[in-house]
Order: sequence, then C-alpha cells, then structure tokens
Amino acid sequence: MHNSEKDIIDDYPKFAVVGHPNKGKSSIVSSLALDDSVQIGDTPGTTQVKRGFPLRVDGKVIYELFDTPGFQRARRVLEWLKEQPEVSADKRAELVRKFVNEHRNDERFTDEIELLEPILDGAGIIYVVDASKPFGPEYEVEMEILRWCGQPSMAILNLIGDEDYRGQWKSALGHYFRLVRTFNPIEATFRDHMDLLESMAQLKEEWTKSIKVAISVLDDLHQQKVEQTIDSIVSNMVKTISFVYKQNIEGESATQEEEEQAKLAYREQIMDYEKELEKSIEFIWNHRSIEKVDNVLILDEVGLFSKESASIFGLSQSELMITGASAGAITGAGVDLMFAGHTLFLASLIGGVVGGIGARIGFDNLYSIEILGQNLGKRELSIGPMKNLNFPYILLGRAMYHGSVIAKRSHALRESFKLEDDEFFTEQLIDAEMRKKLESIHLKLRKNEALSEEMLDEYKKIILRSFLGLLR
Amino acid sequence: MRTKYNKISILTYLNLSQLLKEYQGSHEENRVFALKHQSLIKNPKKLILLWTESSMFRVQDTLDSRVFSVYFSSMSTLFSFISLLLGFFTGMGLLNYSGDAPVNVIYYLLFSMGLPLFSMVLTFFSMFSHGIILNFFTLFFPLHWVEKIFSLFSFGKNINAVNDKFTPALKKWMFINRLQLFSLFFSIGLLLAILLEVAIQDIAFSWSTTLEVTPFAFQEFLTFIATPWSWFFPDAIPSVELVHMSHYYRLGERLDPEMIKNANVLGGWWQFLAMVTFFYAIILRVLMLIISHFGFKWQLGKDFLSLNGVDKLLREFQTSYVSTESQKLEKHLEIVSKIDTQIKDNHRRTYKTIIGWNFSNDEIALANDSKEIKALTVQTVGGNHTFLEDQEVAKLSSEVVLLYVKSWEPPTMDFVDFLELLIANIMVNEIQVYPLGTVGRYYESSEKEVAVWKRKIEGLKSKKVWVIDA
Repeated sequence: MHNSEKDIIDDYPKFAVVGHPNKGKSSIVSSLALDDSVQIGDTPGTTQVKRGFPLRVDGKVIYELFDTPGFQRARRVLEWLKEQPEVSADKRAELVRKFVNEHRNDERFTDEIELLEPILDGAGIIYVVDASKPFGPEYEVEMEILRWCGQPSMAILNLIGDEDYRGQWKSALGHYFRLVRTFNPIEATFRDHMDLLESMAQLKEEWTKSIKVAISVLDDLHQQKVEQTIDSIVSNMVKTISFVYKQNIEGESATQEEEEQAKLAYREQIMDYEKELEKSIEFIWNHRSIEKVDNVLILDEVGLFSKESASIFGLSQSELMITGASAGAITGAGVDLMFAGHTLFLASLIGGVVGGIGARIGFDNLYSIEILGQNLGKRELSIGPMKNLNFPYILLGRAMYHGSVIAKRSHALRESFKLEDDEFFTEQLIDAEMRKKLESIHLKLRKNEALSEEMLDEYKKIILRSFLGLLR
Repeated sequence: MRTKYNKISILTYLNLSQLLKEYQGSHEENRVFALKHQSLIKNPKKLILLWTESSMFRVQDTLDSRVFSVYFSSMSTLFSFISLLLGFFTGMGLLNYSGDAPVNVIYYLLFSMGLPLFSMVLTFFSMFSHGIILNFFTLFFPLHWVEKIFSLFSFGKNINAVNDKFTPALKKWMFINRLQLFSLFFSIGLLLAILLEVAIQDIAFSWSTTLEVTPFAFQEFLTFIATPWSWFFPDAIPSVELVHMSHYYRLGERLDPEMIKNANVLGGWWQFLAMVTFFYAIILRVLMLIISHFGFKWQLGKDFLSLNGVDKLLREFQTSYVSTESQKLEKHLEIVSKIDTQIKDNHRRTYKTIIGWNFSNDEIALANDSKEIKALTVQTVGGNHTFLEDQEVAKLSSEVVLLYVKSWEPPTMDFVDFLELLIANIMVNEIQVYPLGTVGRYYESSEKEVAVWKRKIEGLKSKKVWVIDA
C-alpha cells in the first residue's frame, strides 16, 4: 500500500475472511454482505484477489468485510518468518509486513500477500474452517501465521458436509482464537447473521459501537424489505384479481376461437403479473443473480392455473364452502339490512347457501365473460375479473411462498430450490378469522371496486402477519 | 429559488405522472438527491416537485402537460367566451321589451336566481358524491353534454387522452371547477345585458302570475330575496306601491291605466334585478368557484402523493441507502470443464514407497490396512514438516510411488511444489495420487472431490502422474 493511501485509512472496523482454500470463505462473505454476485465454486482458488465488501449507510462505511484467496504456500511463509532473527511478540506483525513487502512481486506468494494485506492494514481475522471434515496439522501452520499478525481474531466453523468434527476443531482452534462460532452460510437465518455480527463486535472494544450501528441498520433494512415485499404482493393482488381483459370482436357474439384467444391472453397477462412480482421481490432482497441459476424458479413448474397449485396454495373444499357461504351471506346481509331485517334474515341464509354451493363449482369456472355494448358499432369481449373463489388464495399463497423463500434464501446459495410441500400451504398461512377478513376484500376486488385506504391497510396487516409467520 | 415547480398544479401533476412511468431512479440516486436537499426532507411535496424538475429532462416524448395546457386553455377560453355571450344574449332576450307587454320580472328572476341556486345545490351534492350518484348528478349539467359532444372531435379526443391520466375524483373536481367558471361568465353576461338594456332603452317591468299572489305577499318575498343588500342598498328593494302598480294581467292584452300613468316608476325594478343577478348569480358563484378551487387543490394534492411510484420515491428519500456490494470486479477463475487426466481405477497391492500428504504415520497405517496395501517404506510430508524434509523424501523416492492425499482438502500450491519435486526425480517412474475420503466415510471420496484433484493434476501435464479413482 502506498503511503498516501495509508494516511487516509478510516477507523471503521474491517474483517478479513481467511482460511484454507475451498472452506466457504466466499459463501460467508456472500451471506454477510447480502450479495449473491460473489463467485463461489467447488474448485479451490475460485477467489484470486481480495475484494472488499463495505457496509455503507448513505455512503458512510460502517464496517468492511474482505473476501480473500485461501493459503497456498503457508509452510513457506512460516519458514521464512522463522528464519528471521527472533523478535518479541509485539514485533512479529512487523516481520509479517516485511515478508509481504519483500515478496510483493513474487508470483509464488500472490495469494498469501492478498490475504495478509488487509490484516496488516488493521482488519480483524475471521478464520473459516470446514468442521464437517477432520482437523489436520496443515491448519496449524496457517493459524500460526495469523497469530503472528497480532490482530483480533475469531474462527468460524462452517459445516459444508454431513459429518461433524466440531469437537475436534474447537479443541484445536481454542489455542489460537478468542472466539469460535458455528455459522452455516447456506442455512443461516437473518437472526444467525445478526448473532455473528454480535460476536464480531466483541473482538475489539473500539469496534463494538460501529458493529452495533450495523446491526441496527441491518435490522431496519430487513424490516423495510419485509414491508416492501408486502406492498408488492398486495399491489399485485389488487391488480390481478380486478384485472379485466378486453378485446374487440367482429360479430354480434364471440366465436369459439375469439373466446379461446381472449382467455389465453387473459391468463398470460395474469402470469406476467406474477413473474413481474417475483422479479420485484428478488430485487428487493438483493437476489439479482437468481435468474442465472438453472431451474431456480420454484413456481414455474407448478402452473398458476394448475390443480396442483390449487391443492397446495388454495383453500380445501371445506374451507372453500365456508368461505363461499360467508361471502354469499355478506351479500345477503346487505339485502336484509335494506329491508331492516323484515326478510327475517332469509337473504343472508339464501346467500350463504348459494355462495357455498357456488364455491364447489369446478376449477375451470374462473372468470366472467361478457360481451360489452357497442362503441361506434364495435363489440367488445370482456374477460374478468376472476370469479373463482379459490383464485385469490392460490395467488396469495404462491406470492407468499415465493416471497418467504427469497427472504430467507442465503446469498451464498447457488442452487435451485424445490417445492416439496404437498400439504395445504394456505393452512399454515391463513386462519379462519383472517380468511373471513380477506374474503370481504376479495369480494370487492372481484366486483372491480376500488379499495379504501383503510381496507388496503387491513389487507396489508393480515398479509404481513402471515408473512412474518413464514419467516420464522 | 422559485420555479414553475414550486407548487403542485395540474401541469406538475401531469409531468410527474409521465416522468414516473419512464424513470423512478434507484434508491441510491434518490437518497443522494434527498440528502442534497436536506432542508426539504420533511416537506415531501416540495422535495418531489424539485425532483420532478431536475428529472424532467429524461422524458423525451411530448409532454402531457403541454398537450393539456394547449388544448385545455384554448377550450376554456372558448367555452368562457361562449358562456359570456350566451349569458348576454339570454339577458337581452329576457329583457326584450317590444312596447306591447311589459317584461315579467318573475321570468327574469328564474334565470338570474332560480337557475343558479338550483345549479349550486346540484354542485354541492356532486362535491360530496361519487360513483353512480355522481354520474346521475352530472347528467343535469349542460356542460357535461357539451363536453361529450366536443369529445367526438379530434381535439376533444386529445383532451380525453390526457384526461384519462386523472383519477375519477380529480376529474370530478376539475369538472365542478370548470362548471363554476363558465357559469360565472354566463352570469356576467346576464348582468352586462341588464345594464346595457337599461341604458339604451326604456323597459317597463311588471310581474305576472296565474297563482293567487297578492302584491303584499309578493313584496314580502322580494324583500326576503333582497335581505343580503337591504342594509347598504335599500333603493334596490321594490316598494309595496311599485309591486302593486306593476301587477300585470294579460286579459284583453292591455295595460292597466294605473301602469301607464306611472310608467316612469316601472323602470325602478332594474336596480333590484341587477342586484339579484350580482348577488345570486355572481357573488354566490364566485364563492362556489373558490370552494371548488379548494376542493380541486385538496384532491390534486392527495392524488399527487398517490401517483404510482411516489410512495417508492418518498420511502427512498427518507430511508438511508445501505449497500454491501463490492466495488472491485471479481477476477474469475477459468474452470476447465474437459478433464484429460491419466486415471487408474485400481491400485497395486504393494509399493516400494507410500507417501502421505498431510497424513500422520498412524493414519497411513490405518488406510493401508483398510485398502490391503503393503509398502516397503512409508513417509509423511506436508503438515508440520518443513519443506526441506519434504525435499529429502522426494529425493529418496523411486519406482512407483503411491501418494495419499485427503480428497476433501483441495490441492494447494504447496502440494504442487512437492509433486513437482517427485516428477523431477528421475528415479521415480510413476506417481499414483490416491485421494482418500474421511475414516467416517470409510475412505470413500466423492466424485466432486476427485474431480478437483484430477483437474489440478491435469494442469501439471506430466506423463508420470496418475490419479486413482477407485
């Protein structure tokens, strides 16, 4: 590093994630930095240069993580250090610096220089090991070099495989590191992430404040992302349920072909709306590279209009009957009220029965098709809004499922996810009370009526409650 | 700094609506903008106006606001002028005195007071209604029908296209606002007509009705109507005598001799009629115009903040921009997919030398036992050994060497250095690299792990080195 650069070193905490090649350093950085663009590979040496991942709030750096290449010639480095005239412990870091300066142009030590530089510039050490594999003596050499650097350090036990050698590792790592924590970047939840930051805050007193700020910022950010996800889901629900597709037709009534064409266009538009929603949710959660992963789209295989989707995300037949009946009863109650109860609440009863039976009508009975009046001699075929009672629940269930998977998905994950739940997904999401409230809103949307702000807020609240349940 | 974007107007509304469809900015850009204008951060409307002004250059298409202002201002001017003329000629028609029958003030009162009051009541109902009820009230306004006819023409269609950008509620307030303006011009025309008619001809006013109304009762009614100006303009209230002598009966189509006798007094009605027009048709209409203007402004402000995208903008203005991405580009490792390594699917039973990379002697003994392999000499390298010790082992090796490696540990350059020493030893004919799995997996290696080793060995391009993939 040049002197001018040295002079402007900021005092925010820095952490270098170091270790043996292929032990998940990049996965940990990707997970902590919420960035899925970090290249993660099975091949050792995927990371060839150090990369800084600063957490910036309005441009101000709170802390910075460094992803580094793995040790390649650790023994040679240690040998060189030991060959030097013996110095006291407080001078050892100077020797490491001397090694870096002397070997800066030595191609054999490119990786070591890349990983040691941030540490010598004041970064804390996060040493990553794969605790699903046994401890070996080669690690001691790496740990010894890191000890010579004299920076605050902690070790992370990453469980890449199914075996568990954590006991063995803890005994060995305990000799070199103040803190040893288990962190699986692939399965880590937001809470695990925050817990790890808490541990990092303990490494050095001066860093505690910054890391606490970072935790609070990330907490707020998480909350904002949840809210944005709910907003997107709600706006898609409103748009989709009340969507009406219109198409000019030639004759007095629509031909079979015209009707089929319009139905297809109607469905395609709704599917496009769903895809737009998925993209926006992936964007909110910073999963920008997700489309690069093969077969990653969980819901594509289970079509929006398929029976499978209905069975997983929709309401069961009995729930549908109850929902249909309550929706019918709501309409009937309006009639009863108009007659000040003189109908002996017969309208509610009839509405309930008709609604309940209506809910059983086949899955294909999705939308109302109408021929609209003349406009300068032309007739219009209108499809929608969706009349099927189950449709809003299928749509909502799919959106919440996708949203929760994306929200929980680690940025270190590079594999696709599969929909394996064959139970009624909606049952986990919406209880009877919530369903009742949702249905009154869906009823309005099906009638293409605008929702008041209060209703929209209520809708968001219900969905938020379910969504938070899914995130747990 | 005062700009045309200083206040929310229908034009800034249209500009923002058009801009948001094309550009909403990223969180980073929007937050930077808000931080640059920190004094306005608590005034979202002003901040958005300023943002609109600074981002409008991004809209390349014809501005909706331009279309609206060109067509709307010309339409408004035209309609205002027509309304003025209509009011003027209506007034002239109502006050037309041929010299035969006098002008009936009741008829005039209907147009100058009855009609405006009716229209204002309807307007009030319209202000507080929406949906079907609003549509019903709208049917009573002639302006609604006039605009409907105009919408069939090409310029009307242009206005409609822009009009579709407004919410129904805003459209309602715009319509009510326009209605008040045109009605005001109509009333001004009416007032001008009465003033002109009075000035250029001698009009005989009377009142005539089939109903049984006594002059006293009628005068009381007129006094009630004149209440608003009675305290400062008492001359503009018809006296009982005037009402009495102005009573006209059409029977026999002749004038009462009393009327003819007092012809000079009959014209005294004009002050009352002018004041009725001034107060009921103009003053009240101006009040309605002010109310509708405030209603329109309130709705505009509400809709301005409800435009699709404004929520996002406000959120991004107010929340800190958090970024965690690296600004340094990743240097990608090129992964060779085609592997052309020399592979053996089995090992020998005996070897002269077995070397364990990062293994201990005990671990090698266990592995040999498990794989039923025997060796004359067993050596360990890597790990805690120095590089000099490794050099010695490489130097002493000969013939076929079995080199155990941990399959799960990727080959480091340290290993490659040692392998190169072995390759360089002319006494060594063949090196068999054997990746072993963990004891827990009975030394089984995964395909992925072995592939990593194969790839590394392939990179050495040595005919001496083989990988055992048993």
